[in-house]
Amino acid sequence: MGASLYILDLVVYIGIFGIVALSLNLEFGFTGLANFGKVAFFLIGAYTYALLSQMGVPFYLCLITGASLAAIFGLLVSLPALRLRADYLAIAVLAFGEILRLIVKSEKWLAGGDWGTPVNPIFPYTGSYIIYRLENIGLVFLCLIICFLVVQLLANSPYGRVLRAIREDEVAAEALGKSKAKYKAQVFMLGSAMAGLAGGLYAQYLQYVLPGMFMPMVTFTVWIMVLLGGPANNWGALLGAALVQIFARGTNIAKDYIALPIDLNDLQYILFGVLIILMLLFRPQGLLKESTIKTKALKLVRNGRRAIKNKGSQ
Amino acid sequence: MEEELLRIREVSKHFGGVYAVNGVSLDIDHGGICGLVGPNGSGKTTLFNTILGLHKPDQGDIHFKGKCINNLAIHQIYDLGLVNAFQLPRLFFNLSVLDNMLVAARGQQGDRLYNSLFLRGRWQEQEKGLIEEALDILEVVELTQWAFSPAGELSGGQRKLLEVARGLMAKPRLLLLDEPAAGINPVLGKKIFQKLKDFSYNGIAFFIVEHRLEILFDFATWVYVMDKGKVVIAGEPQAIIDDPTFYAVYLGEE
Amino acid sequence: MTVNWAQVFFNSAITGSLYLIGAVGLTLIYGLSRFPNFAHAEFIALGAYIGYSVAEQAGLGLPLALVVAFLITGIVGVLCYRGIFQPLAKRGASIIHLMVASIALGFVLRHSIGAVCTWKPLYFTAIGSAFDFGPLRITHLWLWLIFAALVLSLTMHCLLMYTKIGKAIRATSSNPELALASGINVDRVIWITWFIGAGLAAIAGIFLGADTAVVPLTGWNIILPIFAVAILGGIGNFYGAIAAAFIIGLVENLGVVGLVALGLSTTYRIGIAFLILIITLIIKPQGLAMLFRRA
Repeated sequence: MGASLYILDLVVYIGIFGIVALSLNLEFGFTGLANFGKVAFFLIGAYTYALLSQMGVPFYLCLITGASLAAIFGLLVSLPALRLRADYLAIAVLAFGEILRLIVKSEKWLAGGDWGTPVNPIFPYTGSYIIYRLENIGLVFLCLIICFLVVQLLANSPYGRVLRAIREDEVAAEALGKSKAKYKAQVFMLGSAMAGLAGGLYAQYLQYVLPGMFMPMVTFTVWIMVLLGGPANNWGALLGAALVQIFARGTNIAKDYIALPIDLNDLQYILFGVLIILMLLFRPQGLLKESTIKTKALKLVRNGRRAIKNKGSQ
Repeated sequence: MEEELLRIREVSKHFGGVYAVNGVSLDIDHGGICGLVGPNGSGKTTLFNTILGLHKPDQGDIHFKGKCINNLAIHQIYDLGLVNAFQLPRLFFNLSVLDNMLVAARGQQGDRLYNSLFLRGRWQEQEKGLIEEALDILEVVELTQWAFSPAGELSGGQRKLLEVARGLMAKPRLLLLDEPAAGINPVLGKKIFQKLKDFSYNGIAFFIVEHRLEILFDFATWVYVMDKGKVVIAGEPQAIIDDPTFYAVYLGEE
Repeated sequence: MTVNWAQVFFNSAITGSLYLIGAVGLTLIYGLSRFPNFAHAEFIALGAYIGYSVAEQAGLGLPLALVVAFLITGIVGVLCYRGIFQPLAKRGASIIHLMVASIALGFVLRHSIGAVCTWKPLYFTAIGSAFDFGPLRITHLWLWLIFAALVLSLTMHCLLMYTKIGKAIRATSSNPELALASGINVDRVIWITWFIGAGLAAIAGIFLGADTAVVPLTGWNIILPIFAVAILGGIGNFYGAIAAAFIIGLVENLGVVGLVALGLSTTYRIGIAFLILIITLIIKPQGLAMLFRRA
């Protein structure tokens, strides 16, 4: 594949995983929910898309149904999440994701088991690999922009303020009238819906789904994106997604140009792991700091007071 | 209209066989400033935690505004107008002081999912008003210049003040204050209590645990004394001071 | 459908023994360092590879392989604790950050092994063969495994009950602040626990690798069931882990009978442990800890 195709491919992946990173950022960065089962909802969206598209359902319904189904499972998962400590929740959801993967792996009638099943793409191949990728970039980034607007608007609103309060001290938040059950359930549903949407886009872009595409590694990769970019910062999540994908896919390009004694794939993971550990040791807040809550009213007050302060010093 | 704002009857709470609160009965009237004193370990904080809904009473009833709140969730009790300021401040340390205040406000349009996304105009106006209110209260506790700083940067005394300020922001009918002036210099402490008195004229009732009796007794209209999980004395401050058993409670004599 | 129940129960003992050896180290480390160490999977894998080199390539037999793997992996465990997790904890890292660090460490270890030893599966051949004993099909390896589980349990029991360091581990496990205040060198307790934990993982890895195949993912394939054992037994609870290992081993093997009877795929076998894990966390996260005295 020529370099330009690699790059376009990379951009599609950044878009798709950008959506997933935003969803995890909403759950963990803003609300403190340690969702280590992200890939489960990604899988639900992908497989739903695969099966529905085979039945001839129009693509937007496939995407919406996938997202909705993922949201329902997200709601289910949120119920035990209310009472579980962060690490218990992480392990439980991880196990949940593995159970789902086990099901699609074992039930061959469902979607081909281990060998998977083909998926009808939204943009059928018309003879140009480049056009195919450009079309997908268009669709994926449209979805990404919508998702970004949603999480950004939420972050900069009283709703986002409540989420952060729950993250900081959920008992205090409850004592101030915020039902943590309601907010956690909503956040899990929304985050899962986004992951499901991304899963559907992924499935139709690759035109195939199989269980091996939905290993826990995907969840870990998304976690690295959020932690690296900076939790509770939506731009950070996108930055993290871009950097991680460039790192992951960049080696595919580099492979053609560099010869090493060590398998590039292994080297990549080793470097990756070392990088994460170093980041956690020396810059645990990630690249971009937590975004402050910016509402119109707050901005006015800040500017007003700055003006008063300046006036005072004259 | 109901007689009492808060009505506690024979409430007990035990942890693993140890009764922290053992058959407490008391009333708080609308708009009163009521004190709760007693030696460490007498059950004051546990009583507060049970009232606010953190614990369910093992025995007895708690009625607020005539309604039994034994089995309500914490946020539902807040909705009824009962707000608590914790002894060890439970602030949102990564949020700004102003944001901490804004979380406390009730009836916000913007904290609902649909509204925050699609009806932004509705809550943005409301937020402007809430910010003004918050800044007014912050001025009382002398935290105005910290409004945009993270709550984590406040000193211990300032954190207590923010905890109290947040409680006031919630526009409660009854505010439980667990040692609000602890760690705060006496001049500011007196100022705070004066302001609390002003708020009580607006209809807010206070139930205050406070060890510095000289401050409390200037402002409280009624005082309960707890010892070993029970209320042992109740009365007007002057009557309490004149009661010899009050000192016995603190000095541990029978 | 005829079921060889004797075989089922024997297999349960085998599965339980393997889970026991793998989980004891994990639960002690989890209890002391207070985070789930996912790199435990790579300690298992490392053990498998070291065992392979010693037993297969060098032909020096299983017992020596177990000892060498225990020691080397134990040292690796301590280095990981000292180099990564202790500094992170000192900087106030949250449980989640520590967990992510252990996952990252897992990447590094797993792919280092893969880079050095390739991803080709390696097979043990020199560890005896299968034979029939009445209704049972037994292999020498399995006998070794059950024996090792017994010996290790007894050794750990004696260590925890009768030695100074064992008592220190139990004290620190139940109340770290009090242990520190009573003069126990908590730091030493923790790194010794990491040493033992990683070492035990290595032993589990050898048996697992010898029974199936040695690949860099050897540990990952078994890590969730091992977490299930640690959680069911109560995190940090040695005796609970022993009970939980055999309970899950039994339920799994009975489950296989059930799966076959219901006509479901036996690949669901591993899902049984996942289900137990989720159910335990939802219903009673402390697991069986109530039934067993601490550590």
